[in-house]
Amino acid sequence: MSYYFAIVGSQDNPLFEYEFGTSKQGGDGQSRFTDQVRHLNQFILHSSLDIAEEVQWSHGQMYLKCIDKFFNNYISCFVTAGNVKFLLLHQPIVPTSGSSSRSSTAIGANPTSPATEEAIKMFFTEVYENWVKAIMSPFYKANMEVKSPIFKARVAAAGRKYL
Amino acid sequence: MSASKASRVGEEIWKTRIDKVNAELVTLTYGTIVAQLCKDYESDYVEVNKQLDKMGYNIGLRLIEDYLAKSNTMKRCANFRETAEMIARVGFKIFLNITPQVTNWTSDNNQFSLVFDENPLADFVELPDDGRSQDQLWYSNILCGVLRGALEMVQMQVEAHFISDILRGNDSTEMRVSLIRYIDDELPPEDD
Amino acid sequence: MTVYSFHIFDRHTECVYSKSWVQLPQNPDAPASAGGVPTTTTMSHTSSDEAKLIFGTIFSLRNMVRKLGGDDDAFISFRTAQYKLHFYETPANLRFVILTDIVTPSMRNVLHQIYINLWVEYVVKNPLAPVEHKGGNGVKNELFELGLDQFIRGLI
Repeated sequence: MSYYFAIVGSQDNPLFEYEFGTSKQGGDGQSRFTDQVRHLNQFILHSSLDIAEEVQWSHGQMYLKCIDKFFNNYISCFVTAGNVKFLLLHQPIVPTSGSSSRSSTAIGANPTSPATEEAIKMFFTEVYENWVKAIMSPFYKANMEVKSPIFKARVAAAGRKYL
Repeated sequence: MSASKASRVGEEIWKTRIDKVNAELVTLTYGTIVAQLCKDYESDYVEVNKQLDKMGYNIGLRLIEDYLAKSNTMKRCANFRETAEMIARVGFKIFLNITPQVTNWTSDNNQFSLVFDENPLADFVELPDDGRSQDQLWYSNILCGVLRGALEMVQMQVEAHFISDILRGNDSTEMRVSLIRYIDDELPPEDD
Repeated sequence: MTVYSFHIFDRHTECVYSKSWVQLPQNPDAPASAGGVPTTTTMSHTSSDEAKLIFGTIFSLRNMVRKLGGDDDAFISFRTAQYKLHFYETPANLRFVILTDIVTPSMRNVLHQIYINLWVEYVVKNPLAPVEHKGGNGVKNELFELGLDQFIRGLI
């Protein structure tokens, strides 16, 4: 299971990105994107922005769940009150033939299951809390790229904790 | 007044006589001031420190009166050690609800450190990532000015500066305060 | 109880505020007429001379008291055949003086209250008033004057 997480500002400008892998089921936290597809992640993720903008008005929730799918890439979205979008691309490991059924219960193996949705929601919520703290820094200006190592470490921690 | 009594007094005043205000409002207001100063002085952090100190000084000149009124202080501290305890346990307690530790006295009792375990002014703050702010900016420098101004009004000329700050990556936030002299009473002008 | 006059001196020994309610009788046979029209005379000639005299007196007395009784001793009041002078000094060397008739008990608390409830609230906390009140600048605002007058009249 590999994840690519990005934060997109209200002007559709990228603010933050972070790539990681699952830490559940003995995962080492490293992403398994191959070099051939890695550069596609940004495109896939950003192409879902249109859908996010449609869905965000349809219900009052911040967490929009899984909004888009591109082959084996699933995009979950969270919109903050300031119209900043958290986008998480998750790519389950393609089940190789004959793999044990055990892996199917893992978080993320089934990207649209309620358990996965809940785990991602927890991840987003924690990132949101830390996001608010990061942008409360007096030296941060709206829609500025977030370079804070502290914020990055906290996103990584949230990823390890829930995904 | 003993240190423990000072703590009780500070706690009592904080509970009964202080109007409370939202902590984030204070943090963000102060943060905005510092950020604006950095912008106005084009990241000349030495100058920003100076301006913060000056602003603090002007606050201190007034704040001391509020301190004296709220704490019902009727007489002077017996010595500089007592002054330090009152600053930490009553002053900081009633205005910021923190109690910095008073430590590192010099043998002549004229210099001490205030070590801040928490600093409400610096919540959420990350210094600008320009390679200079970590070495030059004392983010909470307004506090030095406040102490300087407040103590000047009660006849103590002091010098105060930060020597470390968690924001800079140091292990603690520490301010050094040195007594320069006690100021004499001003005499009335001679009659002609 | 009769209150004659009230003065505030700052740490630069300047009289920054004075107000009198009743004229101090110059002749002991002629009793003061209570309830006269209050006159606020901040900087007129005679009152500034009076303020200077008062300051000289309290300053000397305070220093003398400290010499005799130690640094912690405080000069509180003195009385003459005609009036009693009450004194309160804050740790920031702001001096409050009130002159009353001779039978009035200690007014130290009253002066302390004036400091806490009127001076600090209406003068110090007014952000537009200067820190130093040269020539009484910033002291004579409406809230302070009104509060003081009401407070003193409440005592009489």
